Amino acid sequence: MESNDDVALSDEEPVTAQKVLQSLQEVWLNEKFCPELLQHQSDLVDCMLDQIQQMEENLRKLKKNDFRVVIHRMELDRIRYIVTDYLRIRLNKIENFVIHVLEQESSRNIEDAYLSPPELKFAREYITLLEEHLRLVALRHMPTNIQDFDKAKVAVTPNLSSHVFLRAKQNITGVVIEGDNENREEEVDLDENSQHIMQYKSVANYLKAGAVQLI
Amino acid sequence: MNPEEVEFIAENKNVSIVPNFNFDRIYLISGDVGPFRAGLPVQVPIWMATNLRQRQKCRIMAPDWMDTEKLEQVKEEESQSRFFTKMPSEHYMVEAHLLLGVAAEDIPHADEIRTILKDIWDMRMSKLRSSVDAFIKTGGSYAKLDHLTTMEINSIRPLLPHALDELYKLQKVVRIFMSFLKNITLQNEQYQRKVF
Repeated sequence: MESNDDVALSDEEPVTAQKVLQSLQEVWLNEKFCPELLQHQSDLVDCMLDQIQQMEENLRKLKKNDFRVVIHRMELDRIRYIVTDYLRIRLNKIENFVIHVLEQESSRNIEDAYLSPPELKFAREYITLLEEHLRLVALRHMPTNIQDFDKAKVAVTPNLSSHVFLRAKQNITGVVIEGDNENREEEVDLDENSQHIMQYKSVANYLKAGAVQLI
Repeated sequence: MNPEEVEFIAENKNVSIVPNFNFDRIYLISGDVGPFRAGLPVQVPIWMATNLRQRQKCRIMAPDWMDTEKLEQVKEEESQSRFFTKMPSEHYMVEAHLLLGVAAEDIPHADEIRTILKDIWDMRMSKLRSSVDAFIKTGGSYAKLDHLTTMEINSIRPLLPHALDELYKLQKVVRIFMSFLKNITLQNEQYQRKVF
């Protein structure tokens, strides 16, 4: 069972499964606490799923009463929890913000798409079903002049001004905090490893650049 | 996030155990552990330590900070300071809860440790409550939270960010209303100037 140490992520240098798991855990927490949908991390997820599958195959070769089996199973369950919870949070956000998400996605290139291909498929099918459902249940019974389904009007968008807890992963200078009634803007510097609460939109870009971690 | 998930994260931290069996190195996805030699301390993640302990396969060694003298000192500092002091572990409460939960007899002075930790926790929670109160009253939307542990942050998560969000919404309404009022008075003045 020694073969699981080095795995290569598509175009990056080889990283250990341990590192991938660590990043996946950070990504999971970011997605959990972030009000909007973040860029998908299929690389990490696929890599971990591969690892899980490999490990399960290896476990099948071991005797049932081998001491290692229980430990490995426990670890697999822990990793599987992170993966499924991460994907579930994303699906939840996609359902909530489906119109907004699809609209934003259409303005992005394939390379920096926020949805993974299966997620995109899910979002498209979801919106089609939603529209069909509304048409079948209500719209077709309406007078012809108000039968149109205006997506823009019912779109739910994430609240980017909501407050989040975060930890700075490096020194950051000049984070802009929106002012109070008198409209004064304020700038703060975040030291490495310091913890803060502030509006998400103040740090959204730093989060996407990997300079802060939501906690 | 629910407390179980904070616990889940804390369980990844390492703790020393003294196994009572021999076994080679185990290659986990999250890193290697072992080799296990009966009687020799070895570092393993807490989730594994608690499992092994429950199966009577090891003794858990208290982390350095889980010591009455050290904790009394932490408590003293915490009561002297107006601010939050740095805790010996990012997950001190969860770690203590987990380790004392399965292995109270392995850890010297377990009951005393429990009491001191509870005192520290209570002190910090009341500090947290009063600082949240003061913070909301100043009407700020940004605060530094150094030295707060994950469990402590999680305890104010259902309340603080939500309260700030609502305050922000109200402020925005006030702002719109104020500019609306300004416009009306301006128009009134212009109108009056025209009339008189």
